[in-house]
Amino acid sequence: MVFVCSAFLFIAASKKETDPYKPTYLTLEIPKGWPKPATNIFANNPLTEQGFQLGKKLFYDGRLSKDGNFPCASCHQQFAAFATYDHDFSHGFNDKFTTRNAPPLFNLAWMPLLHWDGGINHIEVQPLAPLTAVNEMAENIDSVLKKLRKDTAYPKLFKAAFGTPLINSQRMLKALAQFTGSIISANSKYDKVLRGEATFTPAEQRGYTFFKAKCTGCHAEPLFTDNSFRNNGLDINPYLNDYGRMRITNNKSDSLKFKVPSLRNVALSFPYMHDGRFYSIGQAIDHYSKGINTNQPTLDSLLKKRITISNAEKNELTYFLITLTDTTLTKNPRFSLHQ
Amino acid sequence: MVSTVKKSAVVLLACFVIIICSSNKKHPYQNKKTGRVTISFINTVKSVPLVLDSVEYSNPFGEAYHVTKLKYYISNIKLNATQHSFAEPGSYHLLDAGEPSSLSFAIDAAANTYNSISFIAGVDSIKNVSGAQSGALDPANGMFWTWNSGYVMFKLEGNSPASTIINHRIEYHIGGFSGPNNVLQLITLSLPAALHVQEGKNCDIFITADIDKLWQGVSDLKITTTPATMAPGVLSKKIADNYNRMFTIKEMHNN
Repeated sequence: MVFVCSAFLFIAASKKETDPYKPTYLTLEIPKGWPKPATNIFANNPLTEQGFQLGKKLFYDGRLSKDGNFPCASCHQQFAAFATYDHDFSHGFNDKFTTRNAPPLFNLAWMPLLHWDGGINHIEVQPLAPLTAVNEMAENIDSVLKKLRKDTAYPKLFKAAFGTPLINSQRMLKALAQFTGSIISANSKYDKVLRGEATFTPAEQRGYTFFKAKCTGCHAEPLFTDNSFRNNGLDINPYLNDYGRMRITNNKSDSLKFKVPSLRNVALSFPYMHDGRFYSIGQAIDHYSKGINTNQPTLDSLLKKRITISNAEKNELTYFLITLTDTTLTKNPRFSLHQ
Repeated sequence: MVSTVKKSAVVLLACFVIIICSSNKKHPYQNKKTGRVTISFINTVKSVPLVLDSVEYSNPFGEAYHVTKLKYYISNIKLNATQHSFAEPGSYHLLDAGEPSSLSFAIDAAANTYNSISFIAGVDSIKNVSGAQSGALDPANGMFWTWNSGYVMFKLEGNSPASTIINHRIEYHIGGFSGPNNVLQLITLSLPAALHVQEGKNCDIFITADIDKLWQGVSDLKITTTPATMAPGVLSKKIADNYNRMFTIKEMHNN
């Protein structure tokens, strides 16, 4: 009898709450053999299917920009591994250019600092930079939130993701982080070879051997970056006068240092370097063999002697780098607009 | 027999309800008696209350200026006692001279006798690296740097004929939460008398924030030479070290 009564009470209590908040919790899958991320980017932002889907809708929504033309996805295109395909600088509001090459977006859960200069210290606050930059989305937070609140779909989606229909900047940013932080690239030919599901051609294998000998000091496997900031000896672009990390740290020893980019999907993320000055993998390799300005005091110690490479090795290295292309990422409908 | 079972079931049910309700309501702070402490900040120039826009002031170097905007964060407020100091939970306050209601707020503190108040002028470093926040820390409040993550801890804008930059502007955006140029200032102010926080009673603490201290104290900063800073760095740090001394207790009331 007691049991029946208390069971009845329980049912009554649960019926009282109309439409309970029951999100589908997700776990970020760590690819086999990868290190755990140094910090859990979802520690204060529980990853849910509803949060991810809301983040995806926001990522593709032009209303996050002033004139409606520049969603996040305008500069971060899935077919280019979420970089801007074939552009040194991306296009922003009112025919303006960005001043740095848009980086691809994947494996961000392993990236402690974002942007070429590491100025962004948490994935959740990153969207504030492009959203408010006058040469990018040119918006302000309040105006974006007003647009979202007027929409018929968003209040429901915010409720599904966070429990109530409240739309504020924190929730918008957390949802975006759930989407971008979930993008993982770990299924390239290189990954399949490591898992024993594919084999390199002899040329790719020789390229991989060269890569391990000469490149992993910065482009460390399996992420193909060590996320450090280094000066790789590029001459300064006089139009930009971009000194990289020094702008953030105010430290002269950081002059001309930029984040080591991941080489995953490098065949899709051209052009290369922080200002997109090299349009082919070959040009980028040539920089390391004969272009490095060795007079720069902050030049990375690993590059003081440049990198010796023959023409044959250059081709093989290129073949290897192309094996880092992950079409599972670029074609995954889960990250696409219409799915 | 049946009715006895029914009766005992009702009694048991009632017991259950009571147990469930009381256990739901149990909270570590709820057993403690609390009293209300209203903390009010009064922005001044020397001893005169600050008026935005219309009044011209003069800094210690005789440089004239107007203030058009003054906003700053006060966080981690603590009432200190010889035993059981009280820290306000989730203590983040954005004070805006243009919004008088933001300059005064109440906290429910544990009943006790306190002898000093401490707070951070700024937002503690942890909240600068913890992603998107809400309330006083919402980036929509215009106190967050989007290109170099971190809060603007203190913002003073205005103009001065002594300023050599565009439109004779003065613009001090003070921030930076780590390294040698960390601007966070831990302020501790002794109370003029013991603050008796008692259940059902209200106490008041009035704190003066004198912006005249900005220009002098640790470093002499003239508008002519330093009309603006909008990034973490040496100048930000110098201004913060100066404004460390801007806070004093004006008055206090035990009611």
